[in-house]
Order: sequence, then structure tokens, then C-alpha cells
Amino acid sequence: MTATVPPLPSGLRSRVLEASLRARAAGGPFPEVPEISGAEAYRRAADALYQTLDQLAAPDWRRPTIRDLNVQSLVGHLTGVEDDLRRALAGDSEAETADHVASTQPAAARQASHDPVRTLQEWRGAVDSMLAGVAGLDNHGIIVGLHGIRLPLNALLVARAFELWTHENDVRLSCGLPAAVPDPARLHQMTALGVGLLPFAAGRAGLRRSARVHLVLTGAGGGTWDVELGDEQPSDPVQATIVIDAVGFCRLVANRATPAELQPHITGDREHAGAVLAAATTLALD
Amino acid sequence: MGGTDAVLAARLAAGDDQALAEIFDRLGTAVYGAAVGVIGVGSSAQDVVQDVFVELWSHPDRYNPAAGSLRAYLTVLARHRAVDTVRSELRRIGRQERHSRLTRAEAPPSPGEQVLTAEVASTVRSAIAGLPAAQRQVIELAYYHEMTCREVANAIGIPEGTAKSRLRLALAKLESVLDRQLLESP
Repeated sequence: MTATVPPLPSGLRSRVLEASLRARAAGGPFPEVPEISGAEAYRRAADALYQTLDQLAAPDWRRPTIRDLNVQSLVGHLTGVEDDLRRALAGDSEAETADHVASTQPAAARQASHDPVRTLQEWRGAVDSMLAGVAGLDNHGIIVGLHGIRLPLNALLVARAFELWTHENDVRLSCGLPAAVPDPARLHQMTALGVGLLPFAAGRAGLRRSARVHLVLTGAGGGTWDVELGDEQPSDPVQATIVIDAVGFCRLVANRATPAELQPHITGDREHAGAVLAAATTLALD
Repeated sequence: MGGTDAVLAARLAAGDDQALAEIFDRLGTAVYGAAVGVIGVGSSAQDVVQDVFVELWSHPDRYNPAAGSLRAYLTVLARHRAVDTVRSELRRIGRQERHSRLTRAEAPPSPGEQVLTAEVASTVRSAIAGLPAAQRQVIELAYYHEMTCREVANAIGIPEGTAKSRLRLALAKLESVLDRQLLESP
């Protein structure tokens, strides 16, 4: 005999959902992550990369990584970026228009004649100098132009944290080490930056249609966002929901993974959602 | 992403309130049914449903998709909460009984208390039916006829101390029977 299930009382649904949202606000991850500054995210990313580099054997520094760089010249590239950022902060307008790769190529190339220890210490010294220079400045609304993009200093430092994490994993991949995962607080800063830049990426990729995408980044340091795309504010409710791992989303935004590799869970307008994810890879925050 | 429940759990942890609404639409009726199965139709069952969903949303980590389905987790949680409500009502009866020994002029139960009593009645009645006859007799007089221990003792012609002891035993046994019902329920 099957018991008859009584119908839900009217009003119970809204009562339950309202009570739930009073207990915990929507949007943020569980458990909550502490808010950290862009400078702190950058410092943590630099520390993590330093630890990875510090454990490498001499032959590892010669292993090929991305483009035509080996580990050592990749670190030289990063020293070059620090040099350009220092120039940008000093008001040098050439740093804003400089190409991210070409501008840093001399710094990468000169590492060939250096001992890896020297390469490592030069880069770490440039990072420490930068951290000392931006201390207390990252929340003062300073806008900095670097390598073709203008961002508030705090966001730019998160972008730098993004780059350091991405290259740390380039190094780890080439040396046969497991991939590094940012701590939740740093990851949350990185995902928020990537999500914030999605409308820009979509527009640049030609996605002009107004749409609202419900983006859910899972795992520690993730979160939930309704991203508005297109030239005008979308009038319709959410057209697509994308659920994807937060670390995977960062790999996507760094152009180190494809949407197909990450197997996102998509409902709604799958075609548009796929185009948004494809656009995310063009941000190439590396 | 893994199965549907694993995706929903991950979405809850990411703060996705749409996922919570989807879960309510899919499982709200089952959760309500589980609560009603213990305490009957009414506001107490609705309170249980609210507690269950607030718990899921506030502590999404407590549901482990590898351990079982979301439906099973929520309905078991609802039965636990409903039994807690019944036990709370039994304790209220016990407190009321002790209070009545000290103050003869009892305040009438509030409308809310009357509603709650009605909701738990069917569950308690079936548990009472399984008690030994002597304990069943004292609890029926105390529970249904709202007699004090002294009145129970006078009504059935036993010392008041014996009536108190039988009532205590009966209340303890009822809690244990309700626990067993919970464990044995699907």
C-alpha cells in the first residue's frame, strides 16, 4: 500500500527560500573565504612560485615550457614584466602600450648566460621591490595601464597573481610536478577578476547580443554570479546557466584549458554559453 | 561534474540560490511527506520542511553525495527533525505535569500548543499503544485527560509515587520507541 503524499501548502516554497537566504546570503562560497587584497594575492602567488622554483634541480631550469622559453627564460620574462610594471607605476606611458611578450623578451634572453640561482634571486628581488612599492596603494583607486590593458591597481595585482600561478603550473608541467592549486582566498580573487572581465572578452569576441548568464564556479574559492553580456542591459531573465569548477575556470581564462576539457554543466542556451566560454579563453591572463 | 546530486551539492556550496529552488521544486513534496508521516499535516510539518532546507543551504558540506542520494538525505533529516518535535512535545507534557503539582491553578494551553498537540497526537498514540498496560494506563490519563500524577493515582487507586514512577518510565519508553521508528523508517 502506498501512502498518499499530501500536496505542499501554498506559500511554503517562498517561506522556505526566504528563510534560507536570511540564514546565508546567495553568491558567496561555503565555507566563506577571507577577503584579501590584490597585493596579498600577488605576494602569495609569488611565494608559491618561488617555492616551486627553489626545489628544481639544475637540469630542470633548461626544460622547455611555453612559446620558445625554457624554465629559466620564463622566469626572466616575469622579471621583465615586473620591470614594465614598475615603469607603468612611475607614469611611463610606453609600458601601457608595450607588448607583453616582445617587451620582456630581452629579460628572458639574457638569462641564458646566468646561473639559475641568479635568475631566481633577480626575479624575487623585483617582486619584493614591487610589493614594497605598492604597499598601501592598492585601495586608492589608482588606474594603471600595462601591456594594453588599464585596470585599477588592486585588480592589476590580482592579474599578476593570475599570471604567476599560470606560469608556476607551466613550470610544474614541464618538470613533471603535479599542478598547484591556489588557496581559496587567492582563488576567489582570481575567479572574481576573470568573471569581471568576461563581458569585455565576450564583446571583443563579437558576442553583442544582450544576455544574462548565471555562472556558478564550484569548489573552495568559487562563487555565483549573474553576468550581463552585450551592449545593452538584458531584459530577459537568465538565458543560460554554466556550472564549472573554479580552478578549471581559471585555467580556461589563462588559456590553459578548453571548454571541452573542463566538461561544464550547462542548461539553457547551450550555444551562447559555449560561445561565452570560448570568449573567456581569449582573456589569456598569463 | 559528476551526477545530478553532486552538481546540485557543488552549486549550493558555491552560493547558487537557483540550485536551492530547484531542489525544493524536485524534493519539497517528499520532504514534507516525510515530516507529515511523523507529526501529521499542519504548521509543525511546515516548520520541519523549513528547518531542513535552511540546514541544507547553511551547511551544504553536511550532505555527501557519495554516501547517498539527496532525496534520502533530506527525507531522513526531515524525519529526525519531526521526531525531535514529538520529543519536545513529550518533554512539554512532562514539564506541565511537574508544574501542575506545584501550582493548582493551571493556565489554559495556548492555541499554538493545542495545534501542536493535535499534530503529534497520531504518532504518540501509536507509540502509546505499544506500552505495557500499566504504563499505558497512566500515560493515557496524563496525556489525553491532562491529569496530574495525583489525579492519575486517585483515578486508578495506586500510590502517587507509583504513578510518578510509571509515568517517568512510560515517557522514557516512548522516546525510545520513537527513536526506533525513525531508524526503521525507509
